[in-house]
Parts: sequence; C-alpha cells; structure tokens
Amino acid sequence: MKKNKIALIFLSVLLMLALVTGCGGQTGSSSGGENKGGGSDDTIKIGFMGALTGNEASYGIETLKGMKMAAEDLNKEGGVLGKRIEIVESDHGSKLSEAASVVQKLISKDRVVAIVGDPTTGKTKLAAPICQQNKVVLLSAGAVGPGVVEIGDYIFRDTLLDAVAAPAVTEYLVNKLGWKKVAIVTSTNNDYSVGLTKIFEEALARHNAQVVDKESIQDGDQDFSAQVTRIKQARPDGIIFTGYYTEGGLFMKEVRKQGLDLKMAGGDGLLSPVLWKLGGDAVEGSMVYTGFAADPANAAPQTKEFIQKYQAANDNKLPDMFSAQGYDAVMLLAKAMKEANSTDPSKFKDALAKTRDYPGVSGSLTFLPNREPVKSPVYLLEVKNQQFSIKAVLPTEAPKV
Amino acid sequence: MEQWLSSVIDPYYQQVLMLVGIYIIAALGLNLITGLCGQLTFGHAAFLSIGAYTAAILTRDFHLPFILSLVLGGLMAALFGILLGIPVLRLTGDYLGIATLGFGEIVRVAFTNMKITGGAIGLAAIPRASNLINVTFFVILAVAAVVLLENSRFGRALKAIREDEIAAEAMGINAMWYKIQAFGIGCFLAGISGGFYAHLLQYLNPNDFGFLKSFEILNFVVLGGLGSIPGTIVGTTVLTLAPEFLRFVQEYRMMIYGLLLVLMMIFRPHGLLGGVNFRRLLRRRKQKATALSS
Repeated sequence: MKKNKIALIFLSVLLMLALVTGCGGQTGSSSGGENKGGGSDDTIKIGFMGALTGNEASYGIETLKGMKMAAEDLNKEGGVLGKRIEIVESDHGSKLSEAASVVQKLISKDRVVAIVGDPTTGKTKLAAPICQQNKVVLLSAGAVGPGVVEIGDYIFRDTLLDAVAAPAVTEYLVNKLGWKKVAIVTSTNNDYSVGLTKIFEEALARHNAQVVDKESIQDGDQDFSAQVTRIKQARPDGIIFTGYYTEGGLFMKEVRKQGLDLKMAGGDGLLSPVLWKLGGDAVEGSMVYTGFAADPANAAPQTKEFIQKYQAANDNKLPDMFSAQGYDAVMLLAKAMKEANSTDPSKFKDALAKTRDYPGVSGSLTFLPNREPVKSPVYLLEVKNQQFSIKAVLPTEAPKV
Repeated sequence: MEQWLSSVIDPYYQQVLMLVGIYIIAALGLNLITGLCGQLTFGHAAFLSIGAYTAAILTRDFHLPFILSLVLGGLMAALFGILLGIPVLRLTGDYLGIATLGFGEIVRVAFTNMKITGGAIGLAAIPRASNLINVTFFVILAVAAVVLLENSRFGRALKAIREDEIAAEAMGINAMWYKIQAFGIGCFLAGISGGFYAHLLQYLNPNDFGFLKSFEILNFVVLGGLGSIPGTIVGTTVLTLAPEFLRFVQEYRMMIYGLLLVLMMIFRPHGLLGGVNFRRLLRRRKQKATALSS
C-alpha cells in the first residue's frame, strides 16, 4: 500500500513536470513575437503542418526539409522585408484529431502568418476551414485531391494536378506515340484511379483517340486474366492504367503472359520500385508521369542548384517531389509578402493569388483565377533496366473549365 | 459567447480540452461495457464513427439542428450496438474481443465504400458546432448518468455478471439481457462522442476510425482503472493531454508517451485509480473526523 502510494506520488510529480516544462517550452519558443498579431518585430513565422511520425511521415519529413532549406536561403539574403523567416514545426503523428490541434496551436499559440501543409488531401481539408476562419494562409505542398481550394480564398496548393498533367500526357501518347486506340484499366475501389480515368477519357476524346476497351479491377486483385483476354480481343495500341503500382506490375505480367506486346502508361500512382519488383521484365517500357523528377543533367538552373544543395546536405540522396514543393511553398509565400510589402495574410494572399509563371524548383507555377495551380512541365518517366528514366518533358496548359 | 470564451481560454487549449471531453464521453461508454460488465470489446471506434457520420450527414446534408443530430447519431450507434450485441455477446472474453474487432473493420470498410460518406476521400465541410460549453455540458450529463447507473440495481447486476456470470444467472439475473443493455448504452455514449468529434474536426475519414482508435480508448479506460469512473476520466485526460504537452521533446514525444504507459502499468497494474473506492475513502475520513471531535 505504502509502496503504491510512493509510486503514485512519483508518477504525479513526473506528469506535473512534463506539464510545467511543456508549457514553459512553448511560451519560451514563441516569446519572440507574441501578441503582435500576425508576425513580430524581427521574425516572420511560417508553420509546418505534417507528420514526422506515423505512416505519412515520409511526406512530412521531406516537405519540412525543403521548407528549412528555403528559410535558410532567404535568411542568408537578409530575410523578407528585413525580417527573418522562422519555420515552426509541429508533428501530428498522422492522426486526424492531433492534426486539428496542431493547426489551432500554430495559429493561436505560435501566431504564424501562413501554414505550409498538409502533404495529404484529407488533412489539408481538415486544416483549411480553421485557417480560413482565422485568416491565415494555408499552402499545401502535396494535396492533389478535389475540393481543396474551394474551401476559401486563403487556401492554396502548389502541386501538379492530374487535371493538368493527364491531358499533356494524353497528347503525347496520341500524337507522338500514335495511340489511336486505347484500353483503359480502372481500379474501382480506388478514388484516385476512378478520378484519373475520367480525366484521361475526356482528354482522349479531345484528341480523337478511341477508347476500345474499358476494364475494371480492384485494389488487392491478383488475377487479371479475364480483363487481359478482353483487351487482347479489342486490339488497342496501348493501355492506360490509372491504379497503383502493385496491381500495375501484376497486370503487365499477365499482359506479357498472354503474348501481348503493349505498353502501359499511368499516373504517379505507379511511381514506385515495387512496379518492377512485381512486374519484372513485363513493365520495361511502361510510362509513368510525375510532377518532379530530380534530373541534374537537364534541369532548369534553379532546380539544378536546389538538387546540388539538397545532395550536399543529405548524403548525396536525390530530392523528391515533396522536398521540392516544400521549398517552393516557402519561396512563394516570401515572394508574395515582398510584393504586398506586408506580412498581413489578408494582404499577401492577394499577391500570392496573382502569381504567374513563377520559376520554382519543382517547375513553373501559375495560379488560375480560382487559385488552382497550373504547373509545367510534367515529366514522363519510362522504366528502363529496372529504373525510371526521363522519356519526355512535356509542357502543360491550363485545363479548360 | 464563443468570442468571449476565446478571450478567456486560448483556442488551442479549447481544442485540446474539447478533445479530452469528447474522449471522456466515449471512454465512459467503454468503461460501462468493459469495466463494469466485464465484456472485452475492441470495436468501440466503430460506434464512434457510426455516431460521427450519422450526425455529420444529418447536419450537413439535411440541415437538422446539431443537438438533435447528435442524439440521433447516438441512437444509431446504440441500434447497431444492440444488433451486433444480440449474436455476439453470447461469446466471452477473447472471442468477443475478436468478434468486435472484426465488426470494427467491417464498419470502416463499409464507410470507405459508401457514396454518402464521401468514401476514401472523406467527408468535409461539416459545420463546426462543438464548443467547450456544449461538450462540457454533455460530459457532466454523461458522468452523472454513469454514476447513477453504477449505483443502481442495474449497475450491481452488471458487476455481478463481471464477477461470475453463472452465479449471477443463479441469482435470477438475465445476463444476456443486461449485457445487451450495457452494450447499447455504451455505444450510445460512443455515438454522442462521435457526433461531437465530427463537429469539432469538421472532416471525417474512415481510416481515422481503425482499430488503433479502439485501442486508444481502451487504453484510456485500462490506464485509469477498469471499472472506475474517476479513473476513466483521469486516464483519458492524462493520455489525451500527454502527446500535446510532450511536444517540447519533439521526436522523442511518442517514445516518452510509451514509457509513461509502461511505467504506469508497472507501478499501478490496476490502473491509476483502479481499486480505489472513493465512497469508502470519504466515509473513512468522515469517521475519523467524528472520532476525533468526540
């Protein structure tokens, strides 16, 4: 009994300690600029929202790396409007409930003027109403799903949208590779796939290509023999596959098994080494498009510089899409603040919305009047010797609404 | 009202406090099922999600008043709880646990594939109707309800079932009927909690209600002390606040959180307040006081 009591007291003290130091740490870190209403005397705070732990951590960690590189570059040149850029990071552990707390904390405790995040569409949608209500700019460096920027005029994203990329790829497939007759394969229990198929179908219709066969699969399927048999009978010039890499690899294996010499093209849902780990030789020549490919040889000057800096800081590892878009996000915000000559989100959000042809490290970016980004170029990658190599760099144009 | 509130309490603290309150309501429901009645269930998050989606769709698409949709969400969760309970509560112990775990996964997959729930993309644009006042009000209501229940004939029957079901049956308690009632009430509380959760986050995603969430709530109850209402409240508060207050240690946050769990289980295997009888404590103190004064 007595021992238990001591243990209980010990535990309570430990918890109290955590509580007290927790509060102390927070007020300490934000004491630089409190109660000044949106920024302070000598720093501009930009919040990072994303996961550093949990199953979405790989996106968040890369985004944060890019953001920190951007802040460093800006501060080296004297900051923005004479103030230093400070990145306030908060991990939400890939949890929805914590993500809401994190956004609220960044806004009301840290008093950030803008938040970069979240890399996923779902959590961006969760953060957007809170940011809109509190008049803080939210710039997602990863959300691609529908219904994000519609939430309000403080909400932005700097990603390559499928609605922009897929038509450019379609044009290449139809006009350069001569795919006049196409088979489309959709994974019906995958929202990304269903949406992408729709975009491809519209683009194919615009380029007078014929969809000779539409096949449905499900994520998790292993046997595609029935679908491939039907494709064989339809005699297409190529296959557009809108699902993920696991099914993509297995599907192509079945295609080769049935003696078809067709190539597959698809979105960045196929972008993974798992594609050839499962598909082997069958996926050689398969094409995948993506918004960013680290290509030190042919990259634009600003991208080349970014890749070099990233490699120097990360053991020669090449940057991915998230780090590049995280870098661009901070740079875009800084540029908007400079143009508006203000760190007030209600002012620089308008300058941000006016961004046209911004030469970012992840491609050039233009915001449409509805704040949706149009990015160019799109990289079409090809599987060659079990590796992705750049097949074509395609310019994009604004989608016709 | 809300503006006045945010001038007194920082919105961030309000957010966290509301989350604590919402989890307390859910944990009280689970405590009734697992703590008081002794039925191990791993599917509590499923009932949370049923309540959350029902209430959210009712306010968002049918423009029903918030409190009404909240109650309807709770009733929907209770309905599913009872429907599930009738076949499944014949199982005991681990088997019941596995069956409820399975049900939780079914619900998650069903919500992922339904049109009205927004599928895998999630349900967005839910009005923000939860505030500290209505959450606090419902927490008090829930605490009062479960305290009254625990000390009633019903509560004693549940305890009897927990201790020895056969003996309880021999004393004339219809164990099945009581278990289903307890399950229904527990799920109702989970549904209410889910409704608040939806109208706090304004966005729902089926993946958020996986078995991890069920275990999280079970953690709250077990850590506080199975069967103890004050324990459930303390356990939920500590475990919900800990990840927020541990932010200063950054990447070590979840490690320390885990360490806290291990330490507590070593020093207090029955939970923080498990086995502490507050009534008896109070009575003893009173006796001491009267003995001293006389």
